[in-house]
Amino acid sequence: MKKALLLVLIVILLLPAGALAQDMPHAGAEVVTNFMQSGTYDIGAEQLEPGFEEATGIELEIVASPFVVLVQNNITDLSTGTGEFDVISGDFWIGSVWNHMQPLDDLIERDMWGGSFIEGLMKQGPSAFFDGKRIGIPYSADAYGLIYRTDIFEEAGISADWETWDEFFEALDALEMHLEGSDIAPNVFAFGAYEQTPAIFLGMYDGYLVDAEGNYALDHDKAVAALNQMKSLLDYNPEGATSLSIDEANSVFLTGKAATMICWVSFVRAAAQDPDASLVVDNWATAPFPGPGFPFLSAWNLFISGFSENPDAAWEWIKYYITEEEAKRRFVELGVGSPFLSTYEDAELIEKYSHDFPNMVANLNRAESVPWIFAAFEIFFRHMGEFVIGAVDVETMLENTLADWSELEVPEGLLQSAAAQGQMQEG
Amino acid sequence: MASSVATKSSSSTSNWHRRHDLPWLVAFVIPAFLIVVAVQFYPLAYSAYLSVQDWVLTESQTPKGFVGLQNFAAELADDTFRRSVRNSVYITGGALALQMTLGICLAYLTMGSSWRMRAIRTLLILPMVIAPVAAGTLWRILLNSRAGLVNHLLSLIGVKGPEWLASPDWAIVSVVLLDTWQWTPFVLLVVSAAIASVPSDLLEVAAIDGASRWKTFLYVELPLLMPLLLLTLVFRMLESLLSLDSIYSLTFGGPGYSTYTLTYYIYTLGLRSFNFGAAAASSWLFMIFASVSIGVVFWFQRREW
Repeated sequence: MKKALLLVLIVILLLPAGALAQDMPHAGAEVVTNFMQSGTYDIGAEQLEPGFEEATGIELEIVASPFVVLVQNNITDLSTGTGEFDVISGDFWIGSVWNHMQPLDDLIERDMWGGSFIEGLMKQGPSAFFDGKRIGIPYSADAYGLIYRTDIFEEAGISADWETWDEFFEALDALEMHLEGSDIAPNVFAFGAYEQTPAIFLGMYDGYLVDAEGNYALDHDKAVAALNQMKSLLDYNPEGATSLSIDEANSVFLTGKAATMICWVSFVRAAAQDPDASLVVDNWATAPFPGPGFPFLSAWNLFISGFSENPDAAWEWIKYYITEEEAKRRFVELGVGSPFLSTYEDAELIEKYSHDFPNMVANLNRAESVPWIFAAFEIFFRHMGEFVIGAVDVETMLENTLADWSELEVPEGLLQSAAAQGQMQEG
Repeated sequence: MASSVATKSSSSTSNWHRRHDLPWLVAFVIPAFLIVVAVQFYPLAYSAYLSVQDWVLTESQTPKGFVGLQNFAAELADDTFRRSVRNSVYITGGALALQMTLGICLAYLTMGSSWRMRAIRTLLILPMVIAPVAAGTLWRILLNSRAGLVNHLLSLIGVKGPEWLASPDWAIVSVVLLDTWQWTPFVLLVVSAAIASVPSDLLEVAAIDGASRWKTFLYVELPLLMPLLLLTLVFRMLESLLSLDSIYSLTFGGPGYSTYTLTYYIYTLGLRSFNFGAAAASSWLFMIFASVSIGVVFWFQRREW
């Protein structure tokens, strides 16, 4: 009798532990996740860490590194099969190691996981795929944008409804006439931040980025036209624009010295509405990004390393980090662009960001990533820098770029991404 | 005979000491030798091995195979590599000329042990203790063509400042200025110490002989300072050639490839493109270039001054 009672007692005592084990199937597992040290994505993760550990029993380690170090860490970790990171933060920059990522389709299907993602962001390109399978899920979204001064446009009787760069240039001509005699430039762009110039080129160029043989390439005539058009934008910029950094260009707009600015809108959104930092509060809006090219996309994805020893626990972290509520919170508190449509349809936010949201969502839906590995990107923006400052002509710039690109190989994952986004030459 | 016995005895004592000490010598020398091999020779040997291999980390986890001197030939034929070498020569040459001249002048101007001179010397060495990345950022702000202090000061005297960071030539000048600003104090410190060690009787003899201050400097002090000056030159040359962080934060190697130095090139090749074979070959070419330059300096040092 005593024994039976003891057994019952033990069973009763073990019940909560059993229930706990059922609720926390990965308790005790360790997950290492990395983020860019930006004061945004990494801080957002740190804020969630205690709640995640308590809810899942998983021990989470967050490694935050500056962009360049993050890319180096990810590529060396995956190329060598070290498996230091279970959850990897990245995008096309690490396309050369996408073949080492774990497919996520089965996990997504198993858990019926999803959300109101912006449609364009879930397609191959903005989202990372390899061999037809999803390997990455976007947790942020920012597209290159164009913002303008609503008060100046109203005074000048110009509407910001352009669809092409030619139409935008017509608006710039009208602005130039309207602003004659003032110290306000029709446009400002951070031409001194050379790595930013490809973003304008991509907006003006609608040719291929990879040729039919799978090599980095450009459609010569379309590239020449886009490059020349890009350089002509300098005529509408303030003096010394070729040395403007991102912060300096933003400052030109925020101090009211430019009527339009081409930029990462997320870099300037909060400051533009801050009376202590801006003279254009409530007098600016986001415009459609002109075509025929596309707005350059920055959409960080979370991946699970193929070398992770705890892929299921890693998946738990991804589900915990990428939620509609968290994306909205990160947008409001940290300025991180949300990949969820619900953020942009939130009544409270719409009221506050009516000048920004509609065109921003439209830009995000059209935005594309590029199939460039870092070396390809660097070759392009450095040669473009030479062209912008007038050190070489457009033909030499293209010739030099193609010569340097010829030594690079396009990774398989990025070839597939280029094909899916229509960036490959038809062969 | 006695002498021979004494010699034999001394020799056998010496042999006994040698035999007795040998294990101890080995015990103390071997660890140090192994550490030197591990931290110096192994990386060198491994990079020499890599320099003749075809290996891009993102394409293969291990080297793809022996390619002989192909990596070296490819680098020597590469326009960007050649331009990087040229930029390194311009920047290092310009910075060294300015640093040595200014350092020597400042050392003479601030000679003495009064509190004023000591205070001035302390102020002058401050740039040396600033982290190169911070110094680069600071100068990026100062050289901003629209709102920077440098162009503002130039405008006060009626000079329109150049586009420091947007013009290929002025960007090189900017890097030279930054390096000079930050490292002239090093030359100042070394030369100040060297001047203090020049025997005063030599200076007195020169004065008695009626030598002017300039001639005393040229024929008495400079020959005495020369070995140290050349050593300083070597230190500064290596440091300047290896400089990456300050250029990274000041110009990012641009505009275009205008301030892309050899170190920057190797860094990009190795840690951004992960082309370890080419990066190792470039590093060896860099080492040969630096060794030849240092060799020339040492050759000068061996001459009678």
